[in-house]
Amino acid sequence: MSDLVLSATQMEVKRERSAIGSLRLVQTACILVIALVIVSPLFMLLVASLKDDRFQILADMGSFRAFWVSNPTLSNFAEVGNLSGELAYGRYLLNSLFILACTVGFGLIVNSMAGFVLAWGSLRGRALILSVVIALYVIPQESIIMPLVIMVSRAGMTDTFAVQIVPWVASPLYIFLFYQFFAQLPKELFEAAEMDGASVFRIYRSIFLPLSLPALATVSILMGIEAWNQYLWPILVTQTDYARPIAVAIATFFGQDSIYWDRAMAASVLMMIPILALYLAFQRWFVSSFVGSAVKG
Amino acid sequence: MASVTIQQVRKQYGAVPVIHGVSMDIEDGEFVTLVGPSGCGKSTLLRMLAGLEDISGGEIRIGGRVVNDVAPKERDIAMVFQSYALYPHMTVAENMGFALKLKGEGKAAIEKRVREAADILALGPLLDRLPKQLSGGQRQRVAMGRAIVRHPQVFLFDEPLSNLDAKLRVTMRAEIKDLHQRLKTTTVYVTHDQIEAMTMADRIVVMRGGNVEQIGKPLELYDRPANTFVATFIGSPAMNLFEGSPADEGFVTRDGVFLPMPGDYQGAAAAIYGIRPEHLVIAESGVPATVVVVEPTGSETHVLVKLGPSDANLVLRDRIDLEPGQPVRVAPDLAKLHLFSAQGTRVN
Repeated sequence: MSDLVLSATQMEVKRERSAIGSLRLVQTACILVIALVIVSPLFMLLVASLKDDRFQILADMGSFRAFWVSNPTLSNFAEVGNLSGELAYGRYLLNSLFILACTVGFGLIVNSMAGFVLAWGSLRGRALILSVVIALYVIPQESIIMPLVIMVSRAGMTDTFAVQIVPWVASPLYIFLFYQFFAQLPKELFEAAEMDGASVFRIYRSIFLPLSLPALATVSILMGIEAWNQYLWPILVTQTDYARPIAVAIATFFGQDSIYWDRAMAASVLMMIPILALYLAFQRWFVSSFVGSAVKG
Repeated sequence: MASVTIQQVRKQYGAVPVIHGVSMDIEDGEFVTLVGPSGCGKSTLLRMLAGLEDISGGEIRIGGRVVNDVAPKERDIAMVFQSYALYPHMTVAENMGFALKLKGEGKAAIEKRVREAADILALGPLLDRLPKQLSGGQRQRVAMGRAIVRHPQVFLFDEPLSNLDAKLRVTMRAEIKDLHQRLKTTTVYVTHDQIEAMTMADRIVVMRGGNVEQIGKPLELYDRPANTFVATFIGSPAMNLFEGSPADEGFVTRDGVFLPMPGDYQGAAAAIYGIRPEHLVIAESGVPATVVVVEPTGSETHVLVKLGPSDANLVLRDRIDLEPGQPVRVAPDLAKLHLFSAQGTRVN
């Protein structure tokens, strides 16, 4: 009798195990499909950038040959990686990097300061300012872009690096993000520093800013991606190669008569590398920041 | 070190008053404890002293100087917070030296002062650790170290032991008292725990609803509470109180229980009869009662009895075998009697 009961239990355990096994298989398959959908265009881009015949690239698209290169070459990269001349994509890349570094650098300072003052400052009308900041967030960038173009052209700022950095340094989204992060830090920390003799700026710089690494990482990545992918704004405010970013420059490969797929692909790969590096560098804090905000509500 | 004078200090949030004109003098080097239930205004008063809250009215003087409008950092005081408020990204040494660094002290001077404070608090081996690598008691000591390293005129403690377990609390209580005896710095200590207040303070300020109920030495408060609030707040288990009125050679409670009272008190307008649990003893000549609960603690036994329909607590030093439901006779020590008026103020 006990043997019978035992074997029935064993069978049940076996059934459960096989059900769990099947579920895992389905899960893995789903993850693989999703990963394939996300990764395949990037892989295709990388493969195409290693082919030297732009007509072949076009012909390969739509078939599995798009994912294979028989004679890989770095000639496209050599062509577009110049710092001067007709194909000065190295220069455009450096322009973009400079714009990114300045926007993120100044953005972290300005937005974190504003968030700190809104969270802890003794400013009059703090609540009202915060409401205005949140309200501003819903206004799309595109809707203010024309008045902004008029403003910067009247100020004589067109075709400069400054025009691509200054308007995007302060952002309601990032101010609010910093505000939320700072507001959840304990009041006693502020008060203890105050008792220790720290000024409000010193409290921000020495206590609250070093504690906000997750928020700094999140804002760096989001701001970096935003600055890196700017397209409409630089088209409107840059006329020469001097301050033109790579996102705009790549568009010149897509002419009316012909499309230089080989160079466009190589330039696109170049364009992807810095932002991927930024993400990988800050990924740990970026993820922990989102997890933290989810747990703490 | 400095004296502290609080004169008619008031605090209100909008139209809601929370401190109603509190006055007290704290002498140079004294250890004063502010004690009271939650919401009595003790922490608010301490924060006003620290400069973290504005004062709605009255005057605060530290070392003779009016500090009503002086910023916290210029009051020359140090505060230990309930949550310790250590800077999580700084080591113990950096936490302790932060105030000195802000003052512009040299690196060598900071190191010397931090080392001195660390020696006093036995924090030497922990100076390079981060707060998250410390236990609760160690964090508490670092918070104290951060305060003493500045050599302030006044120490403020805001319920510093409430986050510690019971055993550690007893140890830290003794450490803080020992520290005060060594440094002799004027100290104002807020707690809701009357045992902490009794064991540590030179003087206790009992607060309720934004008012001071009584100021005095711990045993003064215990032996002669000014009113029923202080009588029940100080001492554990709390004092037994019975409402009623004086009668021939005694006091008759509302429930008709007769309690003995010395003849000298017959004329007093006593409406409440108070006796501490340790001043009620089991004696043949006592009032009939029934045992309800017996709680042996080892050193003493707490007994809850029914005196008629009323409850009464006894604390017995002798080990007597008692069972729930057992009839006994309890007698008060008449020399330790407390009599209060109907309004709750002391009359004897």
